[in-house]
Amino acid sequence: MGNKKIKKDQLNTLFNELSKDCSVLVPTRSKGYIGFDLWDENNGDFIGWYKNTTIPLKANFFPKVEDMFRFNKGEGGYEIKEILPEEESQIIFGVRPCDARALKIIGTLFADTYKDPYFLKRRENAILIGLGCNEPCDTCFCASMGASPGESQDVDLLCTDMGDELLFETVSKKGEDLLSNMRGLSDSSDGDSSKAKELREAANNKIQRKIDTSNLKEKMRANFENREYWENVSMKCMSCGICTYVCPTCHCFDIHDENNKKDGLRVRNWDSCKFPLFTRMPMENPRHEKWRRVRQRYHHKFEYYDMNFGVIACTGCGRCIRECPVNVDVTQIITGIQSL
Amino acid sequence: MENRLKEEAGKLLKEGKVDYIVGYGKGSVKFRTSPLITNKEEELENLVINPFIANNLSRYPIELKARVGIVVKGCDSRSLISLIQDKKVNREDVVILGVPCEGVVDIKKIEKHIGKDIDQIEEIKREGENLTIQANGSNQTLSFKDAIFDKCLGCEYPTPLEYDVLLGTEISPKPDMEKSLMRIKELENMDATDRWSYWREEFSKCIRCYGCKNVCPACFCERCFIDVNIPQWVNTYATWQDNLVFQLIRTLHVAGRCSDCGECERACPVGIPLRSLQRKMVEEVKDLFDYEAGVDKDALPVFTHYEDTDPEEFIK
Repeated sequence: MGNKKIKKDQLNTLFNELSKDCSVLVPTRSKGYIGFDLWDENNGDFIGWYKNTTIPLKANFFPKVEDMFRFNKGEGGYEIKEILPEEESQIIFGVRPCDARALKIIGTLFADTYKDPYFLKRRENAILIGLGCNEPCDTCFCASMGASPGESQDVDLLCTDMGDELLFETVSKKGEDLLSNMRGLSDSSDGDSSKAKELREAANNKIQRKIDTSNLKEKMRANFENREYWENVSMKCMSCGICTYVCPTCHCFDIHDENNKKDGLRVRNWDSCKFPLFTRMPMENPRHEKWRRVRQRYHHKFEYYDMNFGVIACTGCGRCIRECPVNVDVTQIITGIQSL
Repeated sequence: MENRLKEEAGKLLKEGKVDYIVGYGKGSVKFRTSPLITNKEEELENLVINPFIANNLSRYPIELKARVGIVVKGCDSRSLISLIQDKKVNREDVVILGVPCEGVVDIKKIEKHIGKDIDQIEEIKREGENLTIQANGSNQTLSFKDAIFDKCLGCEYPTPLEYDVLLGTEISPKPDMEKSLMRIKELENMDATDRWSYWREEFSKCIRCYGCKNVCPACFCERCFIDVNIPQWVNTYATWQDNLVFQLIRTLHVAGRCSDCGECERACPVGIPLRSLQRKMVEEVKDLFDYEAGVDKDALPVFTHYEDTDPEEFIK
């Protein structure tokens, strides 16, 4: 099936149609930060201002808090009632390529030996409509992380902003099925495709921030004990969890039981290796000093995840650089390691 | 000021009077600075003073446990004085390099005023009472006052209250309380039900990253109550109720120490207007105890001492 396009002023009509069958989420900023929220007529105008969400896409699949199951102590022992996400299908529109890639990266972990039903169920029920970036941010470095701001293989449909129109390109079977059911779109021409290609190349060339990932794993391993380096780069860190919570690939969590005498609820919530209390529950946080905690975060992303899953757990979205209150910059830290 | 700072900082390190210099360096993001903590003379070249020196650096001496030459603005000096009062920092261990400050630029205000985002802004230049902002090739003028943080608008101590070296000339305060406290007044004027739903909404956004507490110089407990899990005072996961309780306890804990530096609100990635709570508490402390945080290093901290003559009408 060929590609399609739609006039931007028809987008609200399209969202309206789509939201009859499932929930449609779009980027919104009404809450004082940017996140994906249910579409309504008043928030369909995001294309003019939207760069990326503050809270990454992962939060829609791996929320900051979620109920896992209820338990109940009866005569014969514990009775467990799993609480799975609702079956409702959803379309998430405006997903940036870095975040779609991040979802795929953590998806590998959530579908590994232990299949995480919460993440996987939500993922199965979601259709991602990507929106390529024509104007990447100053903090973006996706081009160094095996990606490109305007392209994505990790969404179902990919949109490119062509000025007055949006071009829809099919990426997956799920996307193809959806596109064939969408009304109000017209066929696109070869000219549109080549224009989109030009826009993507231009966007790629706009990325200023770069890191060198060649032999990075080895280089990090070799400098694991380089205490001076890590103490130096972590000196200004405030040990908060902002970088980990706005990161689209950070996926550490903690679990808690809400107990009454006989019954209770188990919940899962985000946790951060930057916190002194991290992993305290099973035993102890072996990383008492701040520099060890900072080192852990970068080693996990750039060395351990690569060792375990063959991919670096960073997509260059730049959120950690943007949101860090003291401007700790991952690209400076990695560049520093490469120059050791 | 910048050259004077480099000179003074260089002398301090060379003469061995301090172990570290804590100041501001150029940020890796446009229109931002980043804390520069160094014991190397050659790095002092990177020190900057400009209208983007937002961070309150006064927390660092606690952690460094060394003699520190530290750059402070007026509000930061109050945090540092407060830490000296609470004996978290020894006055003899810090050489205070004071920066008279007319206000720090809030880039979000500029973005809002000119309707463009930070990536589109190429240059911001101070020209007298105005800022010239070049974005997408064209210039726009904005009053400096419209571009600084709300807390700066109401600043009563633009010149540091405690210093060893003052890097510029004293600035006389011109607080515009009405503007600075506008949001707080709006909240005060809401009826209680609306205000409750307002905060409920705001605290639903909280992700419990603890940015607010970790950047706060008044939050210096070695182990925060939030990190105590036996017994667990507040759930560590982010429900709006727990988020609210966490922030309210924090607000009470820093009462009498908060200098309205606004770092909590600036750090919050989801935009919870935390300064409204903290500043309100500053007002309460002033009304009830006639006390201002960090204005006198020899004063006894308001909540850690008592006198026989203390009024106690509220104990019934």
